[in-house]
Amino acid sequence: MSAPDPSSDAKIPVTVLTGFLGSGKTTVLNCLLRQPSLAGAAVIVNEFGAVGLDHLLIEASEEQFTLLDNGCICCTVRGDLVATLKELDAKSRAGETPPLSQVIIETTGLADPAPILHTLMAEAELMTRFRIGSVVTTVDAVNGAATLHRHPEAAKQVAVADRLLITKTDLVSNEALGDMLQQLEHLAPAVEQTIARNGEVDLDLLASLPADAADVTRIAGRLEAVAHHDHGCEPDCHHGHDHHQGTHHGIRTFSFVIDKPLEWGAFARWLDYVAALKGEDLLRFKGLVRTTDDPGRPLVLHGVQHVFHPPARLDRWPSADRRTRLVFIVRDIERETIARTLVKFAAIDAASLASPVLAAA
Amino acid sequence: MPDRSADLVFTNGRIYTLDRRRPWASAVAVKGGRIVAVGEGADVAALTGTATRVVDLKGAMMMPGIVDVHAHLMMGGQAELFELRFPPTASFDTLIARVGEAAAKAPEGSWIIGGQWGSDLLPKLNRLEALAVLDRVSQGRPVMLRDDTYHNRWVNSQALGLAGLSASSPDPEKGSIGRDPATGALTGMMIESAAGIVERTIAQSGHYTEEMDRAAMARSIATLNSYGVTAFLDAAAMQPILAALKGLDDRGELTAWSVSAMPAVEPSFMFGIAGDELIALREQYRGVHAKPDFVKIFLDGVPGARTAAFHEPYTKDPVLGCCFRGSTIVTVPELIRWVGKCEKLGLGVKIHCAGDAAVSQALDAIDVVRSFNGSTTVMHHIAHASYIAPDDIARFAELGVVADLSPFLWYPTSFLEGHKQTMGEARALRFWPNRDLLAAGALLAGGSDWPVMPNPDPWDGIEGLVTRRNPSGEFPGAALWPEQAIDVATALEIFTINSARAIGLADTVGSIEIGKSADLIVLDRNVLETPADDLADTKVLTTWFEGRVVYERA
Repeated sequence: MSAPDPSSDAKIPVTVLTGFLGSGKTTVLNCLLRQPSLAGAAVIVNEFGAVGLDHLLIEASEEQFTLLDNGCICCTVRGDLVATLKELDAKSRAGETPPLSQVIIETTGLADPAPILHTLMAEAELMTRFRIGSVVTTVDAVNGAATLHRHPEAAKQVAVADRLLITKTDLVSNEALGDMLQQLEHLAPAVEQTIARNGEVDLDLLASLPADAADVTRIAGRLEAVAHHDHGCEPDCHHGHDHHQGTHHGIRTFSFVIDKPLEWGAFARWLDYVAALKGEDLLRFKGLVRTTDDPGRPLVLHGVQHVFHPPARLDRWPSADRRTRLVFIVRDIERETIARTLVKFAAIDAASLASPVLAAA
Repeated sequence: MPDRSADLVFTNGRIYTLDRRRPWASAVAVKGGRIVAVGEGADVAALTGTATRVVDLKGAMMMPGIVDVHAHLMMGGQAELFELRFPPTASFDTLIARVGEAAAKAPEGSWIIGGQWGSDLLPKLNRLEALAVLDRVSQGRPVMLRDDTYHNRWVNSQALGLAGLSASSPDPEKGSIGRDPATGALTGMMIESAAGIVERTIAQSGHYTEEMDRAAMARSIATLNSYGVTAFLDAAAMQPILAALKGLDDRGELTAWSVSAMPAVEPSFMFGIAGDELIALREQYRGVHAKPDFVKIFLDGVPGARTAAFHEPYTKDPVLGCCFRGSTIVTVPELIRWVGKCEKLGLGVKIHCAGDAAVSQALDAIDVVRSFNGSTTVMHHIAHASYIAPDDIARFAELGVVADLSPFLWYPTSFLEGHKQTMGEARALRFWPNRDLLAAGALLAGGSDWPVMPNPDPWDGIEGLVTRRNPSGEFPGAALWPEQAIDVATALEIFTINSARAIGLADTVGSIEIGKSADLIVLDRNVLETPADDLADTKVLTTWFEGRVVYERA
C-alpha cells in the first residue's frame, strides 16, 4: 500500500454531519462528543433562524464550540464558514484553544451539503489547512422513507453521503427497517450504513477520510462493490429506473469501468464540459483514473456538482485492478448521455467503455 | 351574426402567403388583429358584415410583414435623427468636407457624431496627417465618426482630450488605440473596445437624454414599418432599449413584434449593465409584443479591422506581422457555459462570428451542448454567417443552428474592399455561401444589422441575395461569388417565415395563415415577376400591424 501523503495527513479533517429535520443529528452529535477520540474537535452548528436553539442541547465545553446563527448554510453561510474555520485554526495555532484535531459541521435539516463541500474544495487558503473528511447523513427509521419520498433535499443529503447513520431504529420493526435500508441502498448504493440503537452511536468519524491511502482503497473497494452490486441486480434492476425516479427525485447512481488508459487532456476537457452543462445535477462524482502519461500511478478524482477537487496522484494502485473506474451520483442525467459524451469528447474508445456488469462478465 | 363578422377584409389581392400549403390567395379576413380567413372572395364574403372594413387591393401584391432577424434599433434611430450621415463609399475629402459643414453649424463644445466611413479608409485615417486635417475642420468641436462595421471609431484630438487619452494611455483589453509608428502619437483611430472609451465619454456627458432615447426608438420602429418590417430582433438590447420597447408596448405604441438579445458582456458600442445582471431583469421588460428571449455574445470582431478570428492568417501587417489570425474573445468552455445556462432559462443565444474560426468555435460549443442536453426548441443563431469553412456548412443543419444573414453584404461593397486588403482577394471573395447553406438544409434568416446598413430596407437585401450585385449601382459589373445566388421565392422566405422561426415567433408571424397576427404589407409590384435587378426598387405602399395601418406611402 502507498504511504500516506504527509501533507494531507497534517490537514485537519472536516466532517459534515447532515440529515433532515428531526432525523437525530443533535442526538448523534451529543453522543459523539462524549467519545474520547473527539477531544480537540470543534463543532460548527449552523442554525436555521436568528436564534440558536439546537446548541443549547449540546453538552460540550465552550472551547469546543463555535456557533453560526445566521441562517441556512446552503445559501448564506459560505463566507462565514470560511471565516469561522480560519478563526478556529488561528486560535488553535496561537495556543488560545487546544490543538485542533478535527472539525464537525452540523448543518440545518434543510441544508444542501454541496456548498459546504465546495467551500472546502475551492477556497485556496482553507485547502492548505483543512480537508474534507466524510459526509455523514442521519436518516430517521420512523419517518425516513416518507421524508425521502416527499423532500428532494433529503434525497440529495442521502445521495451525497459517504456514510449513512440510521437513527430511531428501536422504534420500528425489523421488517420496516429492512425495507428502509433497501431503499437507502437504492439511493446510495455501496455507502456504509451504520445503525444507531437507543441513541448510542458506534461511529468513528476518523475511520474514513478521502485524502489518505486507506481511503483510496476504500473508494476502490466501494467502486468494486458498486460493480458487484450492479452485476447482482441485472437484468431487472430497480436502480435509477423509472420505477424509482418518482420516489427518489430522479437521483440515480451508475458507474463505468474503462480498460484502456485515458488521455488526461481530453478527459479533463470532458470534465469541464460536464461541470459546465450538468454541474447542478452531478451530485457527486468519484473516479480512480489510469492515464496514458503515468499508467502506474492512478489519479483520484472527486467532484461535487460543478466543483472538482484538484486531482490527486497516488504512488501506486491500491489493488491489482488497474482499470479506470468512475462513479456518478446524479439527478436526471442518463447513463447514455455520460457514455456518449465520454466517447465523443474524452477520446474514449466506445469498445473499451463498459459497465461493470459487462466488464465482470 | 355580428360576432362572426371580420373587422377587416382584403379582396382582389395577389396575396403571397409564404404558407407552402397555400402559396397564393386573393382574400384575407382579419378579426381582433388576427387572421381569421385566407382564400378567395367567397371565403371572406360570409365574414363581411356591415361594420367590416373592406379593402379592395385592386390586384396589388400583399404578403406577410418582413421579419428582420438582426437590427440595432436605438442606434438606427439615433443615427437618423441626431447624427451626421455619409455613405461608406464617401472619399476622405467628402468626409472631411461634411464634418466641416457640421462643425460650422454646431454650437461650441457640442459633439459631432457621424458615420459611416468605409473600412477601406482605415489605413488612410489611421495617420497623424489625416488627424491634422480632421482637427482643422472641426473648429474645436469634439468629433467621433463610426466606421461601416460600427466596431471602430475615428475621433479628433478634442475628443481624445475629453476621453483623457494621450500617447501614454495603454491599449484597453480587447481593443487598440491607433498610434503613429514613429512617434507613438495617437491618430484618433479607436479599434474595437477602444471605441468604447470615447462612446462612454459621450454617454457620460449627457449627450443622449432619455427623451432622445425614446424618440430614437419610436423613429426606428417607424422606419422599419416604412420598409414593411413588422417584427425584428434587437441584436444588442441594453436596459434603455428594453425599457423603451416595454414602455412603447404598454402604451400601445409598439408597432412591431420585438424580440431582444441582451448582451452577455457590455458591447463596445453600448453602455450599461449586461450579462446576468441584465438577464435577471428580463421579465420586467416583457410585454405582449416585447420579448427579451435572447442573449447576445460577441465571439470576435470584424475582418476589416483584423479582429475577426480566422483559420488562415491575415495578410502581412507592419504591427501584427505575417501570421496573425485574429482571436476569439470568449473561450469554448465559457461559450458552452453561456449556451447551457441560456437554454436552461429558455433563452436563445445569438453569437457574433465574423471569421470562419469563430464560426467553427461557436458550432463546436453548440455541438457540446447538444451532446449533453439533447434536442431543444430554443434557437441559437450564428451572426453573421458569412465566412464559413467548407466543413462547417453542413453542421448548421445538423446542430439546428440558424444562419443569421446580416448585414446585406452579399454583393460588392466597401466592406469587401476592406476585407480584400486584410485577407487577400481570393479569400475575401469566399463570402456568404448562402446557396451551400441552403442546400445543406440550414435555416437561413435575413437581417439588416441596421445601422451597419445605412437603412434597413429588406428589398435591397432581397435583390442582393438573388443577384449578388450591388443594387445601388456602385461597383458596376461586379458580382460577389455569383454561384451562391438564390431565387427570389427563397429570398422572401428568408426574410419572413424563416426569420419568424429563428426568433421563436413562427406561430405568430412570418406567413399569412389563420390564427397569425395580421401583419400584412402591400407592395407596388409583384416581386415574383419583377426583374431581379429591380427588386430593390420595390416600395411598400401600406404596412398593417395587427390589422392597423402603421405606414402608408405618401
